[in-house]
Amino acid sequence: MRRVITGNQAVAYGVILSRVDVVSAYPITPQTTIVEELSELIASGRLKTRFLKVESEHSAMAALIGASTGGVRTFTATSSHGLAYMHEMLHWASGARLPIVLVNVNRAIGPPWNIWGDQSDSVSQRDTGWIQLYCENNQEVLDTILQAYLIAETVRLPVMVVLDAFVLSHTAEPVEIPSIEEADSLLPPFCPDYPIDTQEPRSYSVITTPDYFLEFRYKVQKAMEEVPEVAKKVDDEFRSRFGRSYGAIERYGKKEAELLLMTSGTVTSTSRIVIKKLMEKGLSVAGIKIKRFRPFPSEEICEVIQGAKKIAVIDRNLSAGVGGIFAQELRASLYSREERPQVFGFVSGLGGRDITPALIEEAVQYTVEHPQPEGDILWLGLKK
Amino acid sequence: MGKQITFKRESEMPMISVSLGDMEWNKTGAWRTQRPFYEEKTPPCSAACPAGNDISGFILKTAKGDWEGAWNLIREENPFPGVCGRVCFHPCESKCNRGSFDEPIAIHALERFVADFAPRLSKKTGKAGEKRKEKVAIIGSGPAGMSSAYHLARLRYDVTVFESFPLAGGMLRMGIPSYRLPRDVLDRELSNIEALGVEIRTGISLGEHLKLEDLKDYQAIFLSTGAHRSRGLHIQGEKEKGVLSGLDLLKKMNLSKRIKMGEKIAIIGGGNTAIDVARSVIRLGKKATILYRRSREEMPAFEDEILEALEEGVKIRYLVNPIRVGQKDGPKRLECLRMELSEKDESGRRRPVPIPHSNLFIDADYVVIAAGEEIGASFLPEGAEKREGIVLTRRDGSTGIKGVFAGGDLASNQRTVAHAIGSGKKAAMAIDAFLQGKDAEEVIIQHLIGEGPSLSIFGYLHPGERLRNPHVVTFEELNMDYFEPAKRQGESKSAVKERIKGFNEVSSTLSEGVALEEAERCFGCGTCNECENCYVFCPDGSILKREELFSHQVDYDYCKGCGICFTECPRGAISLKEEAK
Amino acid sequence: MIEIRFHGRGGQGAVVASKVLAVAFFHEGLYVQSFPAFGVERRGAPVMAFLRVDPEPIQLRVNIYEPDHIIVLDPTLIAAVDVTSGLKPNGWVLINSAHPPKTFQTLKGYRIATIDATSIAIRNGLGSRTNPIVNTAILGAFSKVSGLVGVDSIALSIREEVPGKKNENAKAAREAYNEVKY
Repeated sequence: MRRVITGNQAVAYGVILSRVDVVSAYPITPQTTIVEELSELIASGRLKTRFLKVESEHSAMAALIGASTGGVRTFTATSSHGLAYMHEMLHWASGARLPIVLVNVNRAIGPPWNIWGDQSDSVSQRDTGWIQLYCENNQEVLDTILQAYLIAETVRLPVMVVLDAFVLSHTAEPVEIPSIEEADSLLPPFCPDYPIDTQEPRSYSVITTPDYFLEFRYKVQKAMEEVPEVAKKVDDEFRSRFGRSYGAIERYGKKEAELLLMTSGTVTSTSRIVIKKLMEKGLSVAGIKIKRFRPFPSEEICEVIQGAKKIAVIDRNLSAGVGGIFAQELRASLYSREERPQVFGFVSGLGGRDITPALIEEAVQYTVEHPQPEGDILWLGLKK
Repeated sequence: MGKQITFKRESEMPMISVSLGDMEWNKTGAWRTQRPFYEEKTPPCSAACPAGNDISGFILKTAKGDWEGAWNLIREENPFPGVCGRVCFHPCESKCNRGSFDEPIAIHALERFVADFAPRLSKKTGKAGEKRKEKVAIIGSGPAGMSSAYHLARLRYDVTVFESFPLAGGMLRMGIPSYRLPRDVLDRELSNIEALGVEIRTGISLGEHLKLEDLKDYQAIFLSTGAHRSRGLHIQGEKEKGVLSGLDLLKKMNLSKRIKMGEKIAIIGGGNTAIDVARSVIRLGKKATILYRRSREEMPAFEDEILEALEEGVKIRYLVNPIRVGQKDGPKRLECLRMELSEKDESGRRRPVPIPHSNLFIDADYVVIAAGEEIGASFLPEGAEKREGIVLTRRDGSTGIKGVFAGGDLASNQRTVAHAIGSGKKAAMAIDAFLQGKDAEEVIIQHLIGEGPSLSIFGYLHPGERLRNPHVVTFEELNMDYFEPAKRQGESKSAVKERIKGFNEVSSTLSEGVALEEAERCFGCGTCNECENCYVFCPDGSILKREELFSHQVDYDYCKGCGICFTECPRGAISLKEEAK
Repeated sequence: MIEIRFHGRGGQGAVVASKVLAVAFFHEGLYVQSFPAFGVERRGAPVMAFLRVDPEPIQLRVNIYEPDHIIVLDPTLIAAVDVTSGLKPNGWVLINSAHPPKTFQTLKGYRIATIDATSIAIRNGLGSRTNPIVNTAILGAFSKVSGLVGVDSIALSIREEVPGKKNENAKAAREAYNEVKY
């Protein structure tokens, strides 16, 4: 079925098709309509999912940690301050190896108060042990949720699915919605490793001394290291069933280009237009879309940048004191390579400012014109 | 039991820090330096009860709706819960720890409730089993004598009670008006004692019909003849017709004799007898005026009684002292002096002194003198010493004569029903010790409640069962975090104009719901009521719930001795002691 | 690519109108992108909604700055906000008004069309007399003046997307289709 739906509706469809058992969430703009949609469906009895009302995002995640430990499929959605409020529980979910799926609708963190798109909320949770998958359009949002459960339940790590505020969350466009049977054939029921069983009582997440703590973290890292292979299998499986796939990254544009433009989220979508236009003008450019931010796809990136001299990165986020985080991660990935393209780290579009084709073109032009960047941060569209 | 698991390699470890077995191998009890243990302690109410009732015990059962269990528990110590629930001055309530929180528990009302409700559910008390060969004679069927008879019968002695009046009950029947103690309640409790095989022979007066020498068949004798002689005022005219002692008047009324007394009655005295007389007279449709030589503050009568008397129309004139009863025949004219209070005397009350030339006259049709009672001891054999108006006894109640014990009002100046019941119990234990060749004093010391003088016979009758630590629980030892203020529930009283129509009981028994509410207010000082705080709070799961046990047990294999159970016990039923090194 | 901007007041249904029109185009096999002005909405305050239409998948994910056409649900907005801001020359300005297009001659360089959507809404029992719902009627007029989308597609879309009074709303659109002045 093909329907014109918003990004948040696509999330709701993803949740329904994944046969989630327990949803717990607290409303926050621009995530609110996800929770509205789901709670209305649940309240009307059309969706056989338990909705746990909570007083905060922290409690929402805590509730899901309990439910997931109990052995059921769980979902929550949040944004911005809500995600920040969940921070402690995000660590808990990954440390407890619970395959929870969270949708974060990217929104700036105040002050200044701002409800618009900005990746600072999700990227600042990069060290919590969650897999992070960014989406470019509403179709990808729906598809990624289905994939997220399969990945999460295979490697036993939680997954954060990220979409841009308003540009996706409140924007309606045609989306192909799989049938529940198709979704079921992709996603088997969740089987927990250590389900709660009153006949065999257990202590969970008990205190672990320095004797063993390192080993548990090692296991988390090993699980993260499994993600590229698992996610690829899931994506392949998805393609075979639905004809769509996304990869950890996607390279588009000219083969063997000298200049690469690296973006994530909806900026990629707009960039495709710019890259096409510049290629037509004869520029040796290509684009790289980063879908999977955690684990960071260093190997996948290195495979597709052969011959590139420069990589322009547009970050819709800022780690003050360092710069754009995608650029930072890219620099770290490249360091151990012999061949290291120049990284131009642009920061733009914070707090929901449009990253227009003109701005993107400006970034590429700057990169073309400068042998190396004039600093670690190149402010794009700053009112000087 | 699981074993300790250690991992050498990361690959052996589970994915998450989850328990793979139990921790029973880890006997953390070895870490303990102090040991908690369940130990029931003495609540202040019981320690203050002259009759030695297990008050917190019976209230706990009441709170669980176990009326019969509560009734039986009271009767382990006291055969007269129906009587005491009505006429006892309840010193237990003034010591109740709840009084430091909001208001004391209405213990007397609960006791009365249990005594009134439970017998409806209960079968008659069974006999005490085959009697021993020893016989015990008891002189006087008042609360002391009957309490003694009751416990001796439970100790399987062959008991005979001799009573000079035609009906048993002593002062309970002769001295207390029926609006305070309905006779059916008294008769019920007396017949329960008789049902144990106690024989009561009425109309037999020691000294008159019977001499101590006639009681040779009895291996022990308990003298509990009470204090029936009214004290005189030693004033002119008090022996004339139209003047009667308060006690004699009450006896006549209680034996249903008609007395001609006119309309206006003057009652001299400030004790309970004076109040009883005044309120009885009011019920006969007459006017009653009490003349008391001190002020209201010094009046020895119970406060509630004074208030009820005033409600019912009794007049009280304070600081007047009759010095002469004028006119031999017909209406009397009392000549009195006005008094004033000076410094305190040895009783702690301010001494009344006459105001010179303050003479006044009070007219009355009839004069009642209620100036206190004393023992009549003409029958006392040689060897039984008297001092300060009572028969002198040792700590165990024994007199100078071997095998003869004395108790009740005869041997004490603390002349209350509860004291009499307590002294009867003590005599029973002492007589048993005497007859069984045990050291009676030792027996009594072993069974004191708290530091005494109240005694418990429970441990004596059921050796080894639930002995309480004599330590009396203080308010500070309770944990008030677990209690909410709750209003004290009392008995309701009938309206004054209904009351004075006759001798029907003034107050009514609590309803079941109200009794439950009131019983639930009890802190249960030192008494485990299985509230499970210890079980809930124990961080080591080391409190064992055992269905078959009254309370819980500590699992010393794992108890680390943190003391949380001790701290969180609301009622001081857990103790903590240093582990033996 | 065609870009359309809606002007209305909070509560008038500009966002729904954008979505209904998007679905109408969608039914005609086109790609669409419908979105509100990102931010907060308050009842009565001027609001905007947007629509992109293209035969190819729409990759452009930015605001609409230079619309091809605009639709004004409330004529009082013309005095209050710069409704033609960025409007491409010769673009349609479709206004909910009982007055003829020439009344709005101040909007130079654009094609003006008017439709009395308010009367149509009231006539069809949409909303209340004081607060008529005009967003479906005006779409019928847009179908007529723009010729970009069929009125049948709009009627179909209304049936799918409008929660209540589907028939009345569809009828209002058809009436507006016939009554629009331009």
